[in-house]
Amino acid sequence: MVERETVITAQGLTKSFGSGSGQVKAVDGISLTVSSGELLLIMGPSGSGKTTLLTILGGLLHPDSGSVHIEDVDITRLPDRKLTELRRRKVGFIFQSFNLWESLTVSENVELSLNIAGVPGRRATDKAHAVLTELGLGARLGFAITGLSGGEKQRVSIARAVVNDPPLVLADEPTANLDSAHGYEVMMLLRNVARSGDRAVVVVSHDQRIREVADRVIWLEDGRIKDIGGLFRDPVCEMSVEAARAVSLEWDGKTYHFCANGCRRDFEANPEQFINRRRVGKASTRPAVEGDKE
Amino acid sequence: MTVPVARRNLLSEKGRFAISVGGVAFAVLLILIVVALYRGWSQVGEVFEKLPGEIWVTQTGTSDPFHSTSLLTSGDIGLAASAEGVEVAVPVLSRQMNIPIGDGEESVRFMALALPGGLQLSPEIAAAYAPAPGDMVIEETLSRKTGLEEGDRLVVRGVDLRVSDVRPQGGDVLSQFVFVHYSDAERIFGVGDIVNYAMLIVSPGSSVDEVAAAVSEGNDGVRVYTSTAFAEAVRKELDEVFLPVISILVIIGFVVGAAVVGLTTYTATIERAREFGVMKAVGASGGFLYRIVLTQSAILTAAGFIVGLAAAILLARLAEQMVPEFVTDFRALDMAGVLAAAGLMSVLASLAPIRRINGIDPAMVFRA
Repeated sequence: MVERETVITAQGLTKSFGSGSGQVKAVDGISLTVSSGELLLIMGPSGSGKTTLLTILGGLLHPDSGSVHIEDVDITRLPDRKLTELRRRKVGFIFQSFNLWESLTVSENVELSLNIAGVPGRRATDKAHAVLTELGLGARLGFAITGLSGGEKQRVSIARAVVNDPPLVLADEPTANLDSAHGYEVMMLLRNVARSGDRAVVVVSHDQRIREVADRVIWLEDGRIKDIGGLFRDPVCEMSVEAARAVSLEWDGKTYHFCANGCRRDFEANPEQFINRRRVGKASTRPAVEGDKE
Repeated sequence: MTVPVARRNLLSEKGRFAISVGGVAFAVLLILIVVALYRGWSQVGEVFEKLPGEIWVTQTGTSDPFHSTSLLTSGDIGLAASAEGVEVAVPVLSRQMNIPIGDGEESVRFMALALPGGLQLSPEIAAAYAPAPGDMVIEETLSRKTGLEEGDRLVVRGVDLRVSDVRPQGGDVLSQFVFVHYSDAERIFGVGDIVNYAMLIVSPGSSVDEVAAAVSEGNDGVRVYTSTAFAEAVRKELDEVFLPVISILVIIGFVVGAAVVGLTTYTATIERAREFGVMKAVGASGGFLYRIVLTQSAILTAAGFIVGLAAAILLARLAEQMVPEFVTDFRALDMAGVLAAAGLMSVLASLAPIRRINGIDPAMVFRA
């Protein structure tokens, strides 16, 4: 068995926003570790604190309490200038809306990350070209970002995140703006980023398909990690739902769980559409029935 | 070379870039034209520095040759000539008067030097300031205003004069110099024994200041200037009237330029706040980001300066053709000064965008 090194460790993280009666605990006592080569998927409903947690793990937000170690460095104790330096070397970011620099070409987007990390000129160009070519964008190096498809943009974003070879990559809803084919492609790339790059990859997503490439899944709700034993997948919207809070329906001898009555009504109107959908496409091979626990 | 983010940011909005460069160019043009106009008009006193005399003697109470009258007798000239260190005392006739040209009249300043026969002058000086009897040397400005050209003839108070040369000297807005032979000036003015000034040529090895003091000491009825001081006296009036106006125009130009560069850079920064946020998130240092903003400002300023400089020179040439008194003089030092001011403008214009960048929270990149 391959020995994995712990890349990131979070201990007792808390973060609140607002004050008094309006105070919201976005992150409430979260602890986790992620090792090199591992892809951790963080799921949960909107407002559950997923993105806040990711922001803290990436050193972009200070927690109210708790600690985050990236490799051996406690980033919660670092001043902003040191945090900036650490992000440059240790963390790669992938965003839902790509956040690419639109005035730059594909290659320049990746080169700029290298420039920021202190790699100048030709060396940066060569490395950017190599990484982009590896990600299948060799023919798009001089293209404008606006001329790319969503999938291609996300590949550029992945190239930018890994070009400085950081041990940790954080991705926020990386497949949310992509169709299923491109979403699948990005999923596979993320798995590859973790496995062959020997990196720790933390993905925040609503996308059930990512579960298929994740090594572990954490369910976050109200800022806390929930027991993920009782989770089911809504066959209509494909969100993960808790059995205790879900709207259920018996159909054809099986129990289906839905996030809301709307999804149940859609299912009732044409169950075959959703059941058959589960059988088509690489990313959606799991049945949406009770046996399909998270 | 690193990725040219600043240039790409600016050029991604070509229309705005062009308008901004135009704004800066306008500011530079305004500053340069005003300064060049001032320099052009300041040439008005240079005649007194270019003439071969080092000292000018006027009647007591004469402040400058353009705004007060000076009358000297042959006795005054004799006293000045006898002072120690004076090699030659040249009587000078000079008077503002209207002369008939075509259907109208033109106000000009006649000047004539009674140069002694043995005095050695350079061909350039002789051609410009010592025409032969019956000849006159006029300024280019007068030529453009009146259409007088070399070879044309004019009769002034019964004296027939031929334009022997057209020279770029002068710079006075209101009137131009016309150099004639001393004997012609005596006939035109009809003043007999009276002259207006004495131009003194100092003996080799003598101190100009000491000679000036010696001339002044011997005669209470005269006031003595070095040629530089005499030229300054002419320019003093110009400076008192125009410098405050020019200063205000230069400040306006500077503020306009700084505002244009500042607004453009600020807008470009705000529009790309998210991109700057991403740069912060992926580890860009403050210095890295400030360099982008400063480079944006510098590019705008440099492009605006080049366009403004070219436009100013072109406009000055065109204006000079249309309005002959529009005498400009573009000096390298002034251009360097305007470039330095533009650089300062660029730095000042970057302050607000840099402040804006400092306020960008890198965590914003995770917000949809």
